[in-house]
Amino acid sequence: MSAEGDLLHVVTPDDLSLPRVAFGRAIMWGAAGLLALVALAQTLQVTGRLELGFTTWRPTLYAYILWAVCLCWGQVLMRGEQGKRVLFVLPAALFVISLVVFPLLFGLLIAFSDWNLASPTGRKFNGLDNLRQMWGDPFYWNALTNMVWYSLAIIVEYAIAFGLALLLNAQIRGRKFFRVAFLMPLMLSPVAVSWMVGKSMLEIRFGPLARLARALGWDNPSFFGSAEVARATIMVMDAWTYIPFMMIMILAGLQAIPRELQEAARVDGASPWRGFWEVTFPLMLPVSITAILIRLIFKLKLADIIINVTSGGPGGATDSVTSFIFREYRDRSNVGYGTLLAMVYLVLIVIAMTILMKLAERWTRQR
Amino acid sequence: MKVELYNHVVRSGLTRRRLLQGAASIGSLAAMGGLGVSRAALAQADVRAAILAIPGVGAGSPTDADWQKVGEMTLAATRANVAEGEFAGVELTFMGLNNQNLHNFLFRGFLKPWEAYTGAKINWIDLAQADYNPRLQQAIATGTVDFDIIEMGAPFEGDTASKGLLDEMPDWVKVQIDMDDYVGYLKAPVGTWDGKTYRISIDGDCHSFAYRKDYLTDAAISAATGMTEAPTTWQQVQAFSNAVKGQKDPLTGLDAYGFLDPLKGWGGFGFYFLEDRASAYAKHPDDPAWLFDPDTMKPRVNNPAWVQAIQDVMDTMPVLPPDQINADPGTTAFQQFLAGTGAMICWWGDVGSSARTSDGSVVGDVVGFSINPGSDRVYNARTAAWETPATPNFAPNMAYLGWGVYVTSRVTADEKKRKAAWSAAAHLGGKDIALWMAAYPSGFQPYRNSQFNYDEWEAAGYDRAFIEDYLGSNLDSYNHPNAAIEPRIPGIFQYYSVAEDELAKGFGGTYKSAQETADAIAAAWEKITDQIGRDSQIALYKASLGM
Repeated sequence: MSAEGDLLHVVTPDDLSLPRVAFGRAIMWGAAGLLALVALAQTLQVTGRLELGFTTWRPTLYAYILWAVCLCWGQVLMRGEQGKRVLFVLPAALFVISLVVFPLLFGLLIAFSDWNLASPTGRKFNGLDNLRQMWGDPFYWNALTNMVWYSLAIIVEYAIAFGLALLLNAQIRGRKFFRVAFLMPLMLSPVAVSWMVGKSMLEIRFGPLARLARALGWDNPSFFGSAEVARATIMVMDAWTYIPFMMIMILAGLQAIPRELQEAARVDGASPWRGFWEVTFPLMLPVSITAILIRLIFKLKLADIIINVTSGGPGGATDSVTSFIFREYRDRSNVGYGTLLAMVYLVLIVIAMTILMKLAERWTRQR
Repeated sequence: MKVELYNHVVRSGLTRRRLLQGAASIGSLAAMGGLGVSRAALAQADVRAAILAIPGVGAGSPTDADWQKVGEMTLAATRANVAEGEFAGVELTFMGLNNQNLHNFLFRGFLKPWEAYTGAKINWIDLAQADYNPRLQQAIATGTVDFDIIEMGAPFEGDTASKGLLDEMPDWVKVQIDMDDYVGYLKAPVGTWDGKTYRISIDGDCHSFAYRKDYLTDAAISAATGMTEAPTTWQQVQAFSNAVKGQKDPLTGLDAYGFLDPLKGWGGFGFYFLEDRASAYAKHPDDPAWLFDPDTMKPRVNNPAWVQAIQDVMDTMPVLPPDQINADPGTTAFQQFLAGTGAMICWWGDVGSSARTSDGSVVGDVVGFSINPGSDRVYNARTAAWETPATPNFAPNMAYLGWGVYVTSRVTADEKKRKAAWSAAAHLGGKDIALWMAAYPSGFQPYRNSQFNYDEWEAAGYDRAFIEDYLGSNLDSYNHPNAAIEPRIPGIFQYYSVAEDELAKGFGGTYKSAQETADAIAAAWEKITDQIGRDSQIALYKASLGM
């Protein structure tokens, strides 16, 4: 065993002979070369410059798997125990690259293509045309604007969820029953909510909510008739489904706060409001921010209720980005443009979420 | 037959005695009516009467055993063209739907005796309706067609036949399935491309006009509208809809409404309902084209005829039920018309079959049917001028054209497999099996003239008046000389889908006028045409029109 180096963490003697290292290097680079060769050959065939009789891309896939195995093996051969440590991460990293990075790259390739499934010419690279089309597409901008409104609704949802969580955290009768009851909407599929609430209870002639509205003096109740009301109704239905999710997270946070803190505040003469605002709320900030961010991620995916209830109408008033992309992709088979819209949306989400997380981090630190 | 219709007949209390009467009359028809009739015709009449007794109208829903029995009893045509065991070792893949546990489920039963006789084996790909289009489009786009026989709607012929993915029908199949028996609109050019035939029809589809007869007999409403007969033109429909405002519905006592326009999209299918109005204005008897100019593929959707149709809808909006902006065709049919709101609607046969069979329907006894309304004037796109014919211009809308069975070009190179595939498809598209499919729950509507022989239906135990009323309006539309036939070009539903989006903006007030709305649709259609390829679309559009 070596008497030098990192004796605390290294447990096996690394007696790396030169031939072993050379062999490791050889299989690594050999497999990489083979992968490059097969991929190049298949690319040449696809572009019509060479005819090698490949029918699928499987040879490249097999070469990739071989290269991945040789890469891992080569690490051990060349670097001994250090290489074995790398094995804890490398396969997972390669797996992620295969399932996330490659598809993303292919997605980008499609996003910059003119590809309508009905077109006999198939996929054609069209540079920035899709981006230009997006820039002048009023439907997409309208959907993005709607998403801003939908996202802002989370503030209200949060306030309601916090209120409910406080109630359920208090010593009230039937607390367990209410905890389960309030969770029920979350257990429903949004598609079921669309049909049960949006299409049945809100049906304007016979739906119970429409009848109630009439009984309360609204002569001709219309829940999806005008742009504003329709958007608000969608927000309410979505909120009804997901407020329990925020509520349960906040409730868990509330239960983790030691009771002594409130008691100490009360001994110091704090009113219930001050006790909440100066003690509970700041302590709940990390949980709140997590709940809001996760809720935001859910919200950005909002599509099912809209597709089922309004199809984006009236006149695009309730369209979300996802429901618009769904129509572009599924109803119009416009794969290239639809993919670009999704990619742009992804970039916008990443930027927005990063800014939000930075702000949240700064804000919690200040408090 | 649609499931609801069948259930109604079952519920309407068909007694065993009535059933036996029916069977006896069929028997006597077969025995006595044969004077001067050939032995073959007699045998066929026997078969038709016999299969209609499986399991017997009113004897519960048919099961797999019944489907197999029907498949066995209608195998004579196959026996005439195929030797026993001729297809031993052949394996075929059949892609179709599994809606309501019908479609493919029936086909399996029907084809089991065929498999036993011919020795072939069929593998099945069952798809839900919503998965069908993406699955088909992706298979085409990625070159991974993995089925030999496919159940497919005619609108998709543009996506498949135009790309050489289908196999041309051999002549012996045409004879076996008796194609001359097809109703008018399902004959060529439907089912053909460049003069070649590809489709075995198993279903028919069209829109027809359903109206409330009590709106025409109610004294107060008639006084307001001045009409005691059903309107036959869109001009009359408009006048009726405007005049009926303020009256009370004779059935429900709630506010009365005239014609029901769906203002919300329906995944592309909503556009058919604007077509109902537009076809009367835009489908000139001398011109097969009405959606695009066949020489340039320039949309006609913003010509004066279509703008008139959009304007009609916009004019009607103030007298439509509240919240109509959020009503799709499903709502107008099932939640409004059948539930007692509104006097008139254009829809597929479902409204007819559900009117008396659905629990949600209250209009069963007061509903009447006719072909879609016509127009006093028709636009001639070639001369760019309105014409006023001596009689109104009628152009019933053959929306969707119905399901068919097609064989793909995967089998073309292998003559044995090809014959097997066509034999299987022809068995499903046979004349006698068609009668059974129309009479029992199958998901398919009549598509042959021989299916409209009401005596057979009556003998089998159906209520004649009901069947005549339900089927008569369909028959009139099917065989109309100026029927507006759907263009079977690639991506036709893309055009419909984007048109729905633009129409929603027009109805929602984003666009200032009907013309501006129509122009927006036309611009979007031009984009799709350019993307798919204008030259190929022109060629395919002409081919689909038989030009």
